[in-house]
Amino acid sequence: MSCAEGNSRVMVGREAPEFTASAFVNGGFKNIKLSDYRGKWVVLCFYPGDFTFV
Amino acid sequence: MEVLSCSVDSQYTHKIWQEHELSKMVSGGVPYPMLSDTGGRIGRLYGVYDEKGGVNVRGRFLIDPDGVIQAMEVLTPPVGRNFAELVRQVKAFQHVRETGEPTPAGWQPGKKSLKPSPDLVGNVWKVWKIGE
Repeated sequence: MSCAEGNSRVMVGREAPEFTASAFVNGGFKNIKLSDYRGKWVVLCFYPGDFTFV
Repeated sequence: MEVLSCSVDSQYTHKIWQEHELSKMVSGGVPYPMLSDTGGRIGRLYGVYDEKGGVNVRGRFLIDPDGVIQAMEVLTPPVGRNFAELVRQVKAFQHVRETGEPTPAGWQPGKKSLKPSPDLVGNVWKVWKIGE
């Protein structure tokens, strides 16, 4: 899959772009890698920001 | 099904939001990892980072066990998502993965899915009615 900056395209039927991120979970901080979730269904939800209203 | 939420806030802000607000809406707080995407690095990868506003818009991606995106939905910030439709889609995609049978419009768990074959061409109307 081509992942060159500005050239990557997110499309249904294509592999989800891999990432790592620091996360807050179960009262602690943890590094999360998308590929850790292989074998599971994942819903990745983006939202504008904490403490917003919706 | 695993949920990951993601915003440009730091993991520290996520902690305070969980402790001061979310835990008052959901008993025990939200159970899923809250990812920090400062700078919108992940949002850019998924095409949901708004450069002007400096935030990720409301994008939702359903990723299957092979790491393939099966569904996506992107909303502008003022409208919240419909959780029931997300669950319906997850169940439909799981049904397709398990049985190989596609699900017609408005399909719900327990309802009829289709068995594609040459005989079905032009004959969907015989085996499936809208709302069935």
